Amino acid sequence: MPILELRGVTRTFGSGSQAVDAVNDVSLTVAEGEMIALVGPSGSGKSTLLAMVGALLTPSAGEILVGGVDIARYGGSERTRFRRDRVGFVFQGSNMVPFLTARENLLLVGEFGGANRKELRARADQLLQELELTDVASSIASRLSGGERQRVAIARALMRDPALLLVDEPTASLNTELGTKVVDALVREVHGRSKACVMVTHDTRMAERADRIVEIRDGRISSEDLAATSSGAT
Amino acid sequence: MLALTEMLRRKVQFSLVMAVVALIAYLVLMVTGLGLGLQEKAGTALLNLDGDYLAYADRSNLSVIRSRLTDAQVADIAAAPGVEAATPIGYVAAVVEYGDDETATAALIGVDPGSFAEPRPIDGGPLTGPDQVLIDRSWASLGGTEVGDSIALPVGFATREFMVVGIVDQGSFFFQPAIYLDRSAWQDVSYQGAADQTPAASIVVLRGSGLDGARGEGWVAVTKQTGFDNIEGVAAQQSTVNALRYMGLLIGAMVIGVFFYVLTIQKVALLGILKAIGASGWFLAGQSLLQVFIISVAGAGIAVGLALLTEATVLASDAVPIAFTPGAMLSTAVAVAVSGVLGAALSIRQVTSIDPIVAMQPQ
Repeated sequence: MPILELRGVTRTFGSGSQAVDAVNDVSLTVAEGEMIALVGPSGSGKSTLLAMVGALLTPSAGEILVGGVDIARYGGSERTRFRRDRVGFVFQGSNMVPFLTARENLLLVGEFGGANRKELRARADQLLQELELTDVASSIASRLSGGERQRVAIARALMRDPALLLVDEPTASLNTELGTKVVDALVREVHGRSKACVMVTHDTRMAERADRIVEIRDGRISSEDLAATSSGAT
Repeated sequence: MLALTEMLRRKVQFSLVMAVVALIAYLVLMVTGLGLGLQEKAGTALLNLDGDYLAYADRSNLSVIRSRLTDAQVADIAAAPGVEAATPIGYVAAVVEYGDDETATAALIGVDPGSFAEPRPIDGGPLTGPDQVLIDRSWASLGGTEVGDSIALPVGFATREFMVVGIVDQGSFFFQPAIYLDRSAWQDVSYQGAADQTPAASIVVLRGSGLDGARGEGWVAVTKQTGFDNIEGVAAQQSTVNALRYMGLLIGAMVIGVFFYVLTIQKVALLGILKAIGASGWFLAGQSLLQVFIISVAGAGIAVGLALLTEATVLASDAVPIAFTPGAMLSTAVAVAVSGVLGAALSIRQVTSIDPIVAMQPQ
């Protein structure tokens, strides 16, 4: 069973003659240990799609199955719990709580409830090490560099050990070198921990590091290719 | 804890607002103290009378100044059903000469020596004759008068010497320190020259039960508190002070409310991200409320400290009529804390209504 399966997902904004289908009848599956890059021009609907998969937005039609359960039917508190426990988010900027240290930003997810604090501490230290953040673990987030901040965001997304990672333009504010480092770290974690990952990006060089590139135009999937440089799941 | 860490790491921001809350709470405390102080000056001597009810002449409109009772009325009151004990007292304001040709006004209260209206002295002894007086502590500190000194009271167009035999702690009446003397001496001071028309007393102090609103031949009885509330000016004075208090609490609530509203608006993006990664609206609202609560309580606490300091230094002299009671301080501090939390209710709504989708907007 794929970790993520989309069936005929549609999202309409506005109504009547003003209605626009930002996402139109999209079907897609992402397997365990697979990372897909969602590419497309601005306004193509890729961010709307990501928001729906992350339960930030409800689809107008279709099913979004995560681990076989349709999250499109979830109510408000179920969606909050889903975001807390079953999905990890990395946003494009301003991801961190600026007055907390890198490590505290990771442990923060423990304050939302439903977690064993002791396990979280061990996991935080392990993730900080994997993502080469041990040296900056006690630095205040607002003093971290952009690349460090995005790697902390990846670590935080993995804190609750979710099956699904959603990543929105992770390299938008980084230069190529730092961006590559961040995406490489992401690829390592996805493959190493057998996560399913959807990454939205503008940058084709970053997209090529994914296992599969899905292109969206005007709310529909226009092409689906295996990335040229993909090494596949190891 | 997120809320506490934020306060610790943004010390300047949070201490500034705490200082503002403390100053507002201090203002409210001082106004409250002023209200209590004025109340004390206005008539603690009346409230401190050792009885339950006061009987007034029925056309006096419950004014001690205007109330005049005859011997027959005093006897009638004492015999009324429900009365366990009764003793008449007289009141008049008079200019008192003391020390080296100095004068000051005092509230002269005529009592029957040995009756329960005569206060117990904290220094010296009780009244034993018609040419003796008991003076209040505040009068003693005003003129440096001591037990054994004599003061002069006006009788007709002349004055008569009285010996200070004791010092009492009864407070003031009509903003003047109380001086107790024999009721016959009070009659002399008040009504010299019209012997057949001389009233027996101003009012009668009663002990008993169920006497509120009791009436008889030309008199009416009310509770001591009602009598106090009817002292000329007390009601207006207290409503002015209360208006100032409520205004202060309202301003405090608004300042805290606006501050947290602005702070919340500034953090919309961050709060959106926290919601997007699984924080519930109630968790975040709880964190905000915790901050408001800490700031309000700490602000009120600082204000209490400032007020105590003021009382110990600036107000050590009796010049300003400000008085604090632990109860008044506590209730004011609680009121400030509560109004602060209420003021922040607006921000709480703001916090719970943030849409986590803002996390996906480019920063």
